[in-house]
Amino acid sequence: MEAVVEATDLEKTYGETVALSRASLSVARGEVFALIGPNGAGKTTLVRALTGTTEPDGGSARILGASPAAVDRDRLGVLPQEFSPPGRLSARELLAYYAGLYDDARDPEDVLADVGLVDAGDTWYEDLSGGQQRRACVGSALVNDPDLLFLDEPTTGIDPAGRRTVWRLIEDLADAGTTVVLTTHDMAEAERLADRVGLLADGSLVAQGTPTDLVQDHGGSSRLTVETEADPDAFADLAYPVDRPERTRGRTPDGAVVVRDIDPAAIGTVVDYLETHDIAYTELSWAEPDLEDVYLALADATERERTDRLESESGDADLAQAGETA
Amino acid sequence: MSRMGRVRAETSAGWRSFVRRRTAVFFTFFFPVILIVIFGALIRTDPTGEGLFTEPAAYYVPGYLAVVVLFTPLSRMGSEVARHREGSRFEKLATTPLTRGEWLLAQTAVNAAIIGLASLLILGLVILLTGAQIAFSPLLIPYILIGVVCFCGVGAMLGSYTDSQDGAVAASNAIGLPLLFLSETFISLSQLPSWFGPLVNLSPLTYFARGVRAATYAGAEVSTVAGIDPALANLGILTALAVIAFALGARSIPRTD
Repeated sequence: MEAVVEATDLEKTYGETVALSRASLSVARGEVFALIGPNGAGKTTLVRALTGTTEPDGGSARILGASPAAVDRDRLGVLPQEFSPPGRLSARELLAYYAGLYDDARDPEDVLADVGLVDAGDTWYEDLSGGQQRRACVGSALVNDPDLLFLDEPTTGIDPAGRRTVWRLIEDLADAGTTVVLTTHDMAEAERLADRVGLLADGSLVAQGTPTDLVQDHGGSSRLTVETEADPDAFADLAYPVDRPERTRGRTPDGAVVVRDIDPAAIGTVVDYLETHDIAYTELSWAEPDLEDVYLALADATERERTDRLESESGDADLAQAGETA
Repeated sequence: MSRMGRVRAETSAGWRSFVRRRTAVFFTFFFPVILIVIFGALIRTDPTGEGLFTEPAAYYVPGYLAVVVLFTPLSRMGSEVARHREGSRFEKLATTPLTRGEWLLAQTAVNAAIIGLASLLILGLVILLTGAQIAFSPLLIPYILIGVVCFCGVGAMLGSYTDSQDGAVAASNAIGLPLLFLSETFISLSQLPSWFGPLVNLSPLTYFARGVRAATYAGAEVSTVAGIDPALANLGILTALAVIAFALGARSIPRTD
């Protein structure tokens, strides 16, 4: 399938901070590609490098068959992450303004309806709610009916109903053949919208694939969460692996023990075990691994690698200093 | 959409944004008015005395016009560029067909409209309050327009090379104030040390002041340039400087981080 976005070994540093490190990706026509990763992982820098608003230090990028700086801008739609358009234009005027910059723009009224702002169309941008503002910004990226759309955290600050409006909009665009690259911290958003997901950590794309493949490869096992104060040792005779994850690990509540690799049909055996061994519990919940587990697993692994590397470098420096002193 | 269409869209958005900031509109017009009231009506000119303001009232018309032709573009463009940068608006515009030159042209058109209106107000007040007798030369229009182009370019550079709106406004004041008083606007060349004379020639505002004075004040002692009528020659020099300032200003506008 024809690649609409192609990046090879993109590098970018700001001072001593590495924003991108040999980041490579390819996005096919009509595909929705979601970039996920912790804050500072390099998502926005990657989007900027692909849209020509930052110059990478190394590597190459092509979008719509041209370099980002030379691409036909009538075919490109971009929503920057911290975009704040003129505050004293109404939502309607704002979309008309951006539509006026293109050769063959959509009717701004249609875009206003698409982003669910018809009723607030005459309200100044600065008087809209945070979610409405973000939807107006999303609209500004759609006025030219782009072939390739970059959305940097499109639903940040939007309430659940507004978020679903934007999701449906992106799904409709993708169905109509628009290629979409989006960044998000919302794993449900990535899982629902993306054909493929790329996880960025420390400037590197550490994993790419369909949500299903990523979950299969990196998500770990299914888990039964038992909310209990009992020690994990109390589960020693259970025929499944058990652990008490750290409090920081995602959605696991405080005072919970997680039983892994367990089929839903076998949950009854755990209940029997709890009763037989007189283990008090308040709640049981079973879950398949999902993209959030992938995110946490890979982000944790990258963080551990970085810590090990820093410790190793620090150790080498200490040794070198000791050698010099001797 | 043609280039004109893009400029029209940007101009329309810029104009609406400006007129809806009421305090900005008020002080844009209040600033020159208060200067005319202070210098023209309270201090008054004294052709027989010594020191400042010894020329007839008409001599200072270029100075009063320079207040808006210089300060409004410098401060407005400086803060507008900073505001665009802080709101990632240039990042957005860089991905649209609008070029930097078109953006600056649109902002210049907005400034030209504002400054055109302010200039009319200034001329009316100067005549009313100081009794200045001036000729209404049609050359006033290109002088004001080209002056606006020139200082919009300089303002764009200030906004691009400072790191905040506050910085842009402070820089525009720091550059604007010396230029206003040392460009043969309110202080004639004879009142300055002789060694300072060549520096006056470096200011684009000098050519604005000399040319406007030659065009509007019958008693002006403005020398010809290479045998060309000073009203036209200074307009030519100002135009050349405006082209350079506009090109540099457009080039300075950030397209990338």
